[in-house]
Amino acid sequence: MRGLQARLRDAALGAGLLALSVQVAHAAPARAGTSYYTAAQAGRGATAYQQFCAVCHGADLGGAFDVPPLVGRFAANWAGAPLGALFDYMSKAMPLFAPGTLTPEQNADLLAFMLRENGAPAGSRDLTPEGLKTMMFPKMTFATVK
Amino acid sequence: MNGFPDDPKNMPTRLGRRGLFAGSLAFGALAGGRWASVPAAAAALRRTAVPGTVPRLVPMRPHADQIADIKVCLRPFRAAGPRLDVERVGGKVVIHNYGHGGSGWSLSWGSAEMAVGKAAALSPRRVAVVGCGVIGLTTALTAQRAGLDVTIYTRDLLPHTRSVRANGSWTPDSRVALTAPAGPQFADTWERMARYSWKSYRDYLGLPGNPIDFRDSYVLSDTPFDAPEPEPENPDHKGDYATTGMPQQSSEFASYGERIRDIIPASELLSAQENPFAVPYARREPLMIFNFGAYGHLLLSEFYQAGGRIVIREFHTPADMKTLPEPVIINCPGYAARDLWGDRSLIPVRGQTAWLPPQPDVAYGVRYKGASALSKSDGLMIQGFDMSGLGEMDGVGNSFEHADRSEAEKAIGIFENLFARFPAGQG
Repeated sequence: MRGLQARLRDAALGAGLLALSVQVAHAAPARAGTSYYTAAQAGRGATAYQQFCAVCHGADLGGAFDVPPLVGRFAANWAGAPLGALFDYMSKAMPLFAPGTLTPEQNADLLAFMLRENGAPAGSRDLTPEGLKTMMFPKMTFATVK
Repeated sequence: MNGFPDDPKNMPTRLGRRGLFAGSLAFGALAGGRWASVPAAAAALRRTAVPGTVPRLVPMRPHADQIADIKVCLRPFRAAGPRLDVERVGGKVVIHNYGHGGSGWSLSWGSAEMAVGKAAALSPRRVAVVGCGVIGLTTALTAQRAGLDVTIYTRDLLPHTRSVRANGSWTPDSRVALTAPAGPQFADTWERMARYSWKSYRDYLGLPGNPIDFRDSYVLSDTPFDAPEPEPENPDHKGDYATTGMPQQSSEFASYGERIRDIIPASELLSAQENPFAVPYARREPLMIFNFGAYGHLLLSEFYQAGGRIVIREFHTPADMKTLPEPVIINCPGYAARDLWGDRSLIPVRGQTAWLPPQPDVAYGVRYKGASALSKSDGLMIQGFDMSGLGEMDGVGNSFEHADRSEAEKAIGIFENLFARFPAGQG
């Protein structure tokens, strides 16, 4: 049994998290007009994904029991976080069986594909390893969640 | 995630085994050197099983079409041994507790005690534990027992952590370090950890559901145990860790088991009449095992019962630690530290286990031809830990965390063949 105090503490923490997520929503809205990537780039990323990533994360990005999915919980985890941090992680850690072997361009293409699969809109400019450093992973909304 | 597949390599093997017999001889000499009978002398000198004490064994049913699961994990190996230092991240104190190679389960409690000791010295009221594999969980419980208010921050809970993809048996010096880079000081640290863990685990024996248990492990060989065995040498690898930055030979890996031989039950040889296996040489040794399901749920229950809290959270960079409310953080990410903390000293050592349906009537394990079969409460575990003759180098540097069914079938085949000829001399 958990005491009232613990529940109040949880409620306070929950409110804190809510405040944080509101802040995130302001910081990184997946608003129309933001150009994250181009459709052609996401297409290149899709090809690379099937080649390097799908063996573990699954053709549909759904993950497996021991492998994190790259949609759903993944979007919540990264929403509002710098795309640069995700790009760095992918560049250093992935693919797990040969970490660090993909080029920056391949990783940018893969990130474009992942953004597409997580509902971020395509735009008119490619996502570049330099350009993504100032961007945030967009927050999903009812309209974009798949 | 955390910890990693312990494997059966570090039960007395090669040098360790020779040492064991040498030790038995010395003990026999100490006992006075007078024997009432020839069998008594044999028993004292070589610990031959007393006739009639080998129980009738129910055969295992190891068949590839019975595979229920294949689990793959990357042991978080560091040449210098686990990372246990303290660093400052912003205003936070971060105490590291990761990189236990194939000995995470075995050393967990002792390693937790050391990390929590450092945290407690700072007199915080509350601490954060990052990671909830076996290292994170035991660290959190140890912190609670030290009177601290504990929150675990973790991406995954058991059974999704790498810890649960181990084989789950007492292997405290299974690829935990390389002798030279770790140095003599780590050997002392290791011994302290191992002794503390062993006593901690004994406290979980005999509980409902058998979270921790013992099995008779039968080690089989086609050649006499005291015959010299060539050290496995890998012709593809030249030099050593000092010259290449990667372990290159089995002989570089540390072996500390002798230091705690006084508390680890010894093995005994089986006479030809007592040996039920169609393999000429067999010995029996008691082996402590960890039943993941029962033990994992028990630890989690204990953590909640003591008022612990768990927050599901994934950290993207070490700087994220600064956002935690707790002033002191014990960092138990296991292999994930390689990328989260940029710790390139972590070397993956791949291990794989296949799981067949539980056989509760089978209360033993077998090791033969570089593979291990172990009857646990959550399944008959079969692991090929050295089927290529690479010794300790097996899986080193391999981060392919994906099931290899043909490897599993090969390991199962070893036991399928063995039990097709069981018991020996019949059928």
